[in-house]
Amino acid sequence: MLRLGEEVIIFDGGLGSEIEKLGLNGIPEELNVTHPEEIKKIHRSYSCADCIMTNTFGLNKIKYKGKYSIKELALKAVENARSAGKKVFYDIGPTGAMLKPLGTLSFDEAYEAFAEVVEYTKDAVDGYIIETFSDLYEMKACVLAVKEHTDKPVFATMTFDGTGRTLTGSTPEIVANTLEGLGVDALGVNCSLGPKELEDIVKRFLACTSAPVMVQPNRGLPQLKDGKTVYTLAAEEFDAYIGKFIEMGVSVAGGCCGTTPEFIKSISRYSGRKVNRPDVVKSTVVNSATRAVAIDGVKICGERLNPTGKKKLKEALLEGNFDYLVDEAVAQQEAGADVLDLNVGLPQIDEASAMVEAVTRIQEYVDVPLQIDSSDPLAIERGVRYYNGIPLINSVNGNDEVMDKIFPVAKKYGAVVLGLTMDKNGVPKTAEERFEIAKRIISRAESYGIPRHKIMIDTLVLTASAEQKLVAETVKALRLVRTLGVKTALGVSNVSFGLPNRGLLNKTFLAMAMTCGLNMPIMNPLDGEMSGAVKAFAVLSGEDEHSKNYIETYKDFTATVTAVKTTKVENITVADLYDCIKKGIKNQAIELCGKELEKSDAMTVVNDILIKALKEVGREYDEGKLFLPQLVSSAEAAKNAFSVIGERLPKGEAKKGKVVLATVKGDVHDIGKNIVKVVLESYGYEVIDLGKDTPSEKVVQAYVEHLPLAVGLSALMTNTVKGMEETVHALKKSGCSCPIFVGGAVLNETIAKQIGADYYTKDALGFVKTLEKISVKR
Amino acid sequence: MNFSELKKRTYSYLGFRSVARNAETDAIIEDCIEELKKLSHFRYIYKFFEAPPQFLSAQPYTDYLAGSKGVIIAVMTLGGEVDRRIKFYERTDAAKSVVLDACASAYLEELSDDYEKGLGLKLSYRFCPGYGGSSVSDLKYIFGILNPEKTGITLSENNYMLPSKSMAGIIAVGNSSQKSCESCTVFGHCEYRKEGNRCYGSVKK
Repeated sequence: MLRLGEEVIIFDGGLGSEIEKLGLNGIPEELNVTHPEEIKKIHRSYSCADCIMTNTFGLNKIKYKGKYSIKELALKAVENARSAGKKVFYDIGPTGAMLKPLGTLSFDEAYEAFAEVVEYTKDAVDGYIIETFSDLYEMKACVLAVKEHTDKPVFATMTFDGTGRTLTGSTPEIVANTLEGLGVDALGVNCSLGPKELEDIVKRFLACTSAPVMVQPNRGLPQLKDGKTVYTLAAEEFDAYIGKFIEMGVSVAGGCCGTTPEFIKSISRYSGRKVNRPDVVKSTVVNSATRAVAIDGVKICGERLNPTGKKKLKEALLEGNFDYLVDEAVAQQEAGADVLDLNVGLPQIDEASAMVEAVTRIQEYVDVPLQIDSSDPLAIERGVRYYNGIPLINSVNGNDEVMDKIFPVAKKYGAVVLGLTMDKNGVPKTAEERFEIAKRIISRAESYGIPRHKIMIDTLVLTASAEQKLVAETVKALRLVRTLGVKTALGVSNVSFGLPNRGLLNKTFLAMAMTCGLNMPIMNPLDGEMSGAVKAFAVLSGEDEHSKNYIETYKDFTATVTAVKTTKVENITVADLYDCIKKGIKNQAIELCGKELEKSDAMTVVNDILIKALKEVGREYDEGKLFLPQLVSSAEAAKNAFSVIGERLPKGEAKKGKVVLATVKGDVHDIGKNIVKVVLESYGYEVIDLGKDTPSEKVVQAYVEHLPLAVGLSALMTNTVKGMEETVHALKKSGCSCPIFVGGAVLNETIAKQIGADYYTKDALGFVKTLEKISVKR
Repeated sequence: MNFSELKKRTYSYLGFRSVARNAETDAIIEDCIEELKKLSHFRYIYKFFEAPPQFLSAQPYTDYLAGSKGVIIAVMTLGGEVDRRIKFYERTDAAKSVVLDACASAYLEELSDDYEKGLGLKLSYRFCPGYGGSSVSDLKYIFGILNPEKTGITLSENNYMLPSKSMAGIIAVGNSSQKSCESCTVFGHCEYRKEGNRCYGSVKK
């Protein structure tokens, strides 16, 4: 029996290089069937190890397109590995395709591909080793696929670069928090670099997780010698590093690229040694794929993605306008939020699917971790499953029925859970009663195997206008709850409901609560006074050492300005709206447009200022006096001005008409399309943006639904022009009578005609000019 | 790194003509460079071959490799965080998104140039499938040789690499083939060239 975590386990070494040595060519996984004896021989040469990995790295239906069945290759591979007489771990490598949003492979497609091989092999192997992954999201899909099909052990390792990040930007801390949360049996690093270069990464893993840590380094960095790439690290040196890692606390070790049986033979002497792991103090950490947030000190949770009392957000959710949610999320991140609450609950919509859409769209743009907020356990489960990282769950309360639904979800996905100190009888009046509920929540969580650092407690804010005396109880409860060793949260702005000058009460209450141990106010981060109070508190509590953060924020402060952090100080002075559009100063466009609207009616502002300025910008662009960034800046400024004008005009009159835009199926390049979008919007068109990798049916559907003035299609690659042609045909077939515009690097007039499009324009300005001409004719 | 070359390249990708640089764009580019230093995870994966792999034994590769003593097959990337940041700026500052996109491309070129200089060999320029009438789909051979998927670089069915700031190169060792307009992927419909500008010399004098 393997005594994982107690005794050192040794895995085998490089397979590819051994195959090469035998002079075998072709797809490595097929060798399991075509050359079983050679593969067995390699496996047997590693019989000094405790565990043998199967020759199945690239064997999944997305990557493997050969002539054998995956099942046959997988089972044969297990049989070959068995010949070494050791434990057999089935090896799973990445799909080789990029997951959405960067690529086109969906989370579910990746999951299916991994689940298939697990289904075939689960009764034949001793465990699974998921290795050489670079994308945390793909790793999550794979871990879930394995764990949802078998109870066999799962080891999972990712590959890092010299800066200590995966290619998609995850750190060891992020990887460890996510994988430990998902309940893998061992986690760590493989491939990437040599043992020397991995030392720091190994150290970081050991410092942040209590899960067994696994390391499989390459044989050093390959060097170019006499025109050949060679590995030069000697087995003794490799052994010395592995010995050091084991002393540091590593539980599982083996070799990756370039290592040979000689290397594994050498390190096999560590097998069975007692693992020495110092205790790790666990903190409450949530993370996205690229950002980990430890809930210590005070962290701001943005409250604005919750439709309760927010008319525009409600409308957006009803219309399926997730762009609006993304913009809200981006704005809160920019304003300094550390976590974002996300609630999409409206009685008219399917909350679970809206949650999936919102989570996937928001995480494409924003890297602050999310707090999945719903009263529907299914919506919570969906949100947490498709979240790329470890989120918070909002919430459970002292009601057993709620806890019994939510805690299994939290346990499975490793999420942190917010517990509200209320139960069937409502919110208790006294701090002591709330403290009792908190204890009940923590103890029930523990019965589900959820440790204390995965629980946060909200002692609940009641409004001062209705329950004035209870405000003090909430704050007192914070103090009590903190003694339990858990972190705390409060929806602070509830306190001021029904009273004048709410901001003042909110800010004051926030200061009181922080003093008594509040860790995470759920609040509006765009409120500069509130965010400012958190920053000031960090100075006064000593958390912001040398007031560094505070000084950075307020160094240019003058008493009249209380705005939150701006990304860029606009020093450029503009005379008026016309000048503002021309210079592309978007931050001033709204205010200046408001001033113009005091003097003239909306249409005059549009025709005499906005359109004139844009025409001038367009002329200079055509003449080569202005270039793309300036064109885009002006377009953004004009777009902002239009947003003010839109509010003054009756609905429907504001916009010139709709244009549907899409990057076609199979293509993920959308920057060109996005520039067209900004420029069209600056001219007052409403753009229906279907995004990238858009199936033709979706374009047709949008056409039928919106009956736009024009459809614009973009493709960058020669191969994806096919997708464009299909879309044009599908549109024409469905009776599309509006002009179809095409653009993109590989297109020109001739190709556009060939594929049946009506117009080719070489850039965004060309698009809008042509469209304006056509519209006039109409 | 040669920052003035980096800026020049960025301006050129953005369509600027030589005379028209300006202080605002300059400032944005500076910002972008600082971000790229933090966001990029440069990786350069290569193998050296004395005898070129099979797929290079056809035109235009044979011309390009004529007289060489070997060939380097390489794939390089800035990683995925840059892509994400470009997306982020689409929402907050579209002009910066456009500049970062161009600047990242230039940054990858510069880092790759520097890396190749460090190899200490006499190298020609990076010839990429798609140049000079070769097929972009030849990228699959390069992926077959290097397995860059192991570091997270992927090739889609439609022959684009992701993360998007990734490139592939076939580099002649020991000859001095020069990049020319004729070998460029957009030769024939290059807007820049139509205006009488040139990125490279021409083989047809």
